[in-house]
Amino acid sequence: MKIMVCLKQVPHQDARLDINADGTWIQEDNIKFEINSYDTYALEEALRTKDAGEADVFVVSIGPDRVGQALRTALGMGADRAIHVNDDEANGSDSLGLAKILAAVAKQENPDLIFMGLMSDDDNSAAVAPMLAQLLDIPHTTAAVKVERSNGTVTCDREIEGGAHEVVELTAPCLIAVQTGLNQVRYASLKGIMAAKKKPFDVKSVADLGLSGQVGTGAAKVKIDRIAPPLKGDTAEILSGSTAEVVAGLVSKIKELGLL
Amino acid sequence: MIEWSEQHLMIREALQRFVQEEIVPIHEELEHGDTPPYEVLRKMYSSFGMDEMARTRFEKQIAWEKQGKPPREKKDTADASTRADQTAMSLLPIIELCKYCPGMVTAMGVSVGLTAATIMSKGTIEQKERWGKDVLTFEKIGAWAITEPSSGSDAFGGMKATARREGDEFVLNGSKTFITNGPYADTIVFICKLEEDGVDSRDRRILNFVLDSGMPGLQQGKSLRKMGLHSSPTGELFLTDVRCGMDRLLGGEKALSKGGRSGREGAKDTFNMERAGVTAMALGIVERCLELSVKYANERVQWEKPIGEYQLIQDKLARMEVARMNLQNLVFRTIELAANGRSMNLAEASAMKLYAARAAVEVAMEAVQVYGGNGYMSEYHVEQLARDAKVLQIYAGTDEIQIRAIARELLSR
Ligand SMILES: Cc1cc2nc3c(=O)[nH]c(=O)nc-3n(C[C@H](O)[C@H](O)[C@H](O)COP(=O)(O)OP(=O)(O)OC[C@H]3O[C@@H](n4cnc5c(N)ncnc54)[C@H](O)[C@@H]3O)c2cc1C
Repeated sequence: MKIMVCLKQVPHQDARLDINADGTWIQEDNIKFEINSYDTYALEEALRTKDAGEADVFVVSIGPDRVGQALRTALGMGADRAIHVNDDEANGSDSLGLAKILAAVAKQENPDLIFMGLMSDDDNSAAVAPMLAQLLDIPHTTAAVKVERSNGTVTCDREIEGGAHEVVELTAPCLIAVQTGLNQVRYASLKGIMAAKKKPFDVKSVADLGLSGQVGTGAAKVKIDRIAPPLKGDTAEILSGSTAEVVAGLVSKIKELGLL
Repeated sequence: MIEWSEQHLMIREALQRFVQEEIVPIHEELEHGDTPPYEVLRKMYSSFGMDEMARTRFEKQIAWEKQGKPPREKKDTADASTRADQTAMSLLPIIELCKYCPGMVTAMGVSVGLTAATIMSKGTIEQKERWGKDVLTFEKIGAWAITEPSSGSDAFGGMKATARREGDEFVLNGSKTFITNGPYADTIVFICKLEEDGVDSRDRRILNFVLDSGMPGLQQGKSLRKMGLHSSPTGELFLTDVRCGMDRLLGGEKALSKGGRSGREGAKDTFNMERAGVTAMALGIVERCLELSVKYANERVQWEKPIGEYQLIQDKLARMEVARMNLQNLVFRTIELAANGRSMNLAEASAMKLYAARAAVEVAMEAVQVYGGNGYMSEYHVEQLARDAKVLQIYAGTDEIQIRAIARELLSR
């Protein structure tokens, strides 16, 4: 079995975020990055499948040189090989552009399963996974909180509104976009990290994937115009006092506003 | 070595994640409660495959020794970069854990370092298999007992604990104090003197015995209250006529046939290992104090300015950074020496330990000062690091004893 895991490297949750000069994204120089938290659960799910039987797990990421570290971390955790799409031409891709790149990789590799995060911690668009499944014309599910496999089919619990779970069955090849918390993500073992140096690591360009001119800023249908921190308002009221007083105040506020 | 490699940084990050997820949530209980550190340490061992690595190394070494070959030098077992990585892999957990719990490092180091290393260097193959392996992999908790109520720095000379021969057996008596892991240890290396007629007490043979918790006559006292290092239980051991056979004497018959003042050298090797470990501990403490101090200097405002804008505070931060750089370079040197199959002589190791301990204490106390009143409060964490750092000037040879070793070497040149 072949499993593809899509990883995105995002700013570290403790990183200090400043807006860049033209106001279109954050300042990325000199900040720490990490693997998107959703994707770590996707990787863990793939590695569990591998632990339970035979599987070739490869990780794919799109981005500049720094992304290599995220891929090597995944190799350290147990992935078998990595594909790094490292090409300036991919810069500025919108969700569809990214999905096209991942689809081109998937077409070269023909994985039985694709695991990825439901969305990314940085821009929360949750669009790439369904788009990728559409481009590959394979079944998919999102917000998976439980994944069970038995020959050829995958049964997933997915989270829906109101905390309910919906159970779906998919036939491989298929794509599963996972919710956080569906498993306990392992630590990369010390030996694993050292061994990661020697695992296969392919670097591909947009042209290698036959996508010249089809991705990147030029092809993007969605562009970020401006990002800005939320404006500070003066409508918040902070309740103070003992816990009992604060709770009583909150309850009367809720009643007063007719929220219940 | 001029910087950590990408692999080393990845290890640090993985360890940092472990610390945040597994240690920070119970930090309070570890440092201000009675939760012993062993469960978390074992979890770290299994999460990072450290137990598996120790087991594999153990099995290789035993297989080698069983062929009757002499113990291998470290430099014969791997290439330079592997040796460097192995050393880095042993130091990185120390650095990262010390940012929160220097005590945990002490508990770990005494068990898998001192105790296991003593068994592995002095024991027979049978003894290594019986006790060494489980202590190396942290399945069992080890303690190493040399200090006594009336002998510390002069551990061998003033030692009162004795082993008396009775036929095929030894009868052990004496008490030990300040023993890390003493209250919880499963396996104890007990260091004592052979009762020998007509030999001056100072010149008697030093013997190392392995004891199991629960042996008749062995009492493990409860944790002593202390200034800091609360995540490391420290206690007393009392031995009253503990009987054991030759199988528990490290090295067996051979240890007895060595004459004169034998039995002292091995302990010195372990002192050297401890000194490198202390330097890594100091680096962890200093890195954390610096990080916290810089943060606070930027945030805390007095007279409408962040205190970091005052030169007196800047001086403290700059000194902390100098200490951090020096300590990191010492750690790099330790790794580089290992890569080259070399080790420090006693005076150099002593100089390193002396500097490291003093730097950690100075930096941690200055961090308290940067934090002002908050620095004195537990919530802000630097007071714990300051209390913990102080032990580095006392155990593994006091500052004064390091100075003596350095001076002796200088004066004998
Ligand atoms: C938290 C903790 C954990 C420990 N864990 C262990 C353990 O696991 N196993 C173990 O066996 N021991 C352990 N020890 C004991 C430790 O190694 C000793 O405390 C240390 O060696 C100092 O001995 P001492 O306390 O008897 O001090 P002393 O030797 O009595 O020293 C008192 C003072 O006199 C100074 N001094 C002594 N001799 C000289 C000299 N010749 N010249 C100048 N100054 C001198 C010392 O430097 C010190 O300042 C631990 C200690 C602590 C605090």
